[in-house]
Amino acid sequence: MKDGSDGTATDAIEIVGLDKVYGQGAGAFRALTGIDLTIRSGEFFTLLGPSGCGKTTLLRVIAGFENPTEGSVRISGEEVAHLGPNKRQVNTVFQNYALFPHMTVAQNIGFGLRMLGRSRTEVAATTAEMLRLVRMEELAQRRPAELSGGQQQRVALARALAPHPRVLLLDEPLSALDLKLRKEMQGELKRLQAETGITFVFVTHDQEEALTMSDRIAVMSAGRILQRGTPHEIYHAPTERFVADFIGDTNFLTVPVVSVEAGAAQVELPGGRTAPARLPEGARPAPGAKVTVVIRPEQARLVPPGEGEMQGEVTSSVFFGTDTHVHARLTDGQDFVLRRQNAGELADPSPGDRIGLALGDGVLRVLKD
Amino acid sequence: MRRRGGTLWNWLLSAPALLVLVLAASGPLVIVLVYSFLSPGNMGGVAWEPSTDAWFRLFFKRDIFDPEVVTWNEAHLVVFWRSVSLSLQTTAICAILGFPTAWFIATRAPHRRALWLFLITIPFWTNLLVRTFAIQELIRNTGTINSLLLRLGVIGEPIQMMYTDFAVLVGMAYVFLPLMVLPLYAAMDKLDMRLVEAGYDLYGGRLQVLRHVIFPLVKPGFVAGSILVFIPAIGAYVTPRVLGGGRTMMLGNLIELQFGQGRNWPLGSAMAMLLLIVVVAALVLYLRWANAEPEQRNG
Ligand SMILES: Nc1ncnc2c1ncn2[C@@H]1O[C@H](COP(=O)(O)OP(=O)(O)OP(=O)(O)O)[C@@H](O)[C@H]1O
Ligand SMILES: [Mg+2]
Repeated sequence: MKDGSDGTATDAIEIVGLDKVYGQGAGAFRALTGIDLTIRSGEFFTLLGPSGCGKTTLLRVIAGFENPTEGSVRISGEEVAHLGPNKRQVNTVFQNYALFPHMTVAQNIGFGLRMLGRSRTEVAATTAEMLRLVRMEELAQRRPAELSGGQQQRVALARALAPHPRVLLLDEPLSALDLKLRKEMQGELKRLQAETGITFVFVTHDQEEALTMSDRIAVMSAGRILQRGTPHEIYHAPTERFVADFIGDTNFLTVPVVSVEAGAAQVELPGGRTAPARLPEGARPAPGAKVTVVIRPEQARLVPPGEGEMQGEVTSSVFFGTDTHVHARLTDGQDFVLRRQNAGELADPSPGDRIGLALGDGVLRVLKD
Repeated sequence: MRRRGGTLWNWLLSAPALLVLVLAASGPLVIVLVYSFLSPGNMGGVAWEPSTDAWFRLFFKRDIFDPEVVTWNEAHLVVFWRSVSLSLQTTAICAILGFPTAWFIATRAPHRRALWLFLITIPFWTNLLVRTFAIQELIRNTGTINSLLLRLGVIGEPIQMMYTDFAVLVGMAYVFLPLMVLPLYAAMDKLDMRLVEAGYDLYGGRLQVLRHVIFPLVKPGFVAGSILVFIPAIGAYVTPRVLGGGRTMMLGNLIELQFGQGRNWPLGSAMAMLLLIVVVAALVLYLRWANAEPEQRNG
């Protein structure tokens, strides 16, 4: 187990039909509803969602700090309902690090192995290896109170990695760090994951962090998982309004369906032109029905009036340096934001200007209702 | 911050406090110290003749017939030993009972804790003597416990609990328990429960987490509680008097005896000084030991 040599393709974590209700009776609160989740071995998996959506609760259920109200949790194929946190080969990096203040850095890192009853030599060797891995050799004899936030973060990581768990759970580990350190630690985390090959389950409410770091993402809202997929899928093919809205900037257009083919529909854009839009799995709207399509601001191009699929009038434009956000009102009154890359020194359109909007090929997506 | 002429001003400002300190604390202490080096007066009080006899008699006695023969004053030594031993045992019992009690309170929902703390402190609202008599009511030969056991047929005749070391121990543990629970609770209240979770998460079993995470972190509470229990315990008067009677005296009772029936104020004073010395020495040794622990240094 120590080197993950089981060789089978068992999933690291398998959650089926998980519900979690806090409290009882009138004060009961449903924190998780119908969670089905499979996390593959060696994956960098991210739980992304707004504050209070149940991310921490889900991690705590996996770690064993909370009992599921309903459903099952398997770790490496083994049902863990009856196992306490100390019997699960899963370690947690806590949001506030939770380093033992009465122990040195080295003692903190060696704690798990000592609890497992490993020999002194093994504890010392692994501790030294972990210190090297997180580049903290010089500070081994310091106490947590004598470390900076970033250093404490590294110790927390090393402490959780030292027993070589099957899964590492990280609850918003970077949220307490300033932006620069945060970027640095993001890279560090990716490197550690690659070097150790351990499955990482990473919690964040920062969509950019999720997109840049993850192999796969599950987007959560109000105790449910709305969508899961690679960062590309989540960004380019959101199936729910919440997901599209939460990740990146998005335009929502309400348009009538003209016709439906396999997996795609022809929709009538504002102004009367038709365009193909991809349908979410299983959806078959009737022709004439109104649907919501999404399109990212950078997926439309600014073209002279009369050209492109849609026409509009500029209401404002905001200069961001690398790009300019052009806010426009379409012919039928719906609002649209377009992001233009400032490849050269271009003049920004001014309010009142008439513009054309050209859409990239196949960029329109229909949302689930 | 320091202004010119500030020193004098500072002294003036602290004069009232210093005065109280000198009069209320040092004054009596000096008197007791001086008395311990005088001779006993005929009808109590002291005679102003310097003497070290009191200090000598703390530990030794002379043969009535031959003053040259010096032996240990066993009667005193027994009481000294009992005082130290019973106080240590009381502290240990309070720690053993106090820990789970404080833990229980600290792990209740925040709005419930105040109620439990209130219940713990209720005994403080009752006179010590009354509480001690309540214990007596429980353990005397015709008291609640013995009657109950007799009626149930568990025992054939009453167990003699009154006037034993056991009785004194029970009484003191009962009286001083809150003094252990409160500082322990204060320490546990500050304890970050996520550290406990981290301990479990890193494969620690219950006992391991208790030993390696919880104990070291609530140790300041243990230290404070032990001091708060030990010091009044070693000088206890009422409890050994009521529950121990004349047979199981402690230092406090012995001192009282010298000022009352014994009419030997210098000896009583010497005993009082000895008590003070023991307490201070114990405190210094204990704190040094407690702070020497490597795990404690970082607080
Ligand atoms: N012990 C508890 N008892 C009752 N309700 C709880 C408890 N813990 C969490 N909750 C509730 O469950 C919901 C989900 O909480 P959780 O901590 O999992 O959110 P989160 O997604 O981690 O949020 P954040 O990003 O702010 O950390 C919240 O509404 C919270 O109030
Ligand atoms: Mg959280």
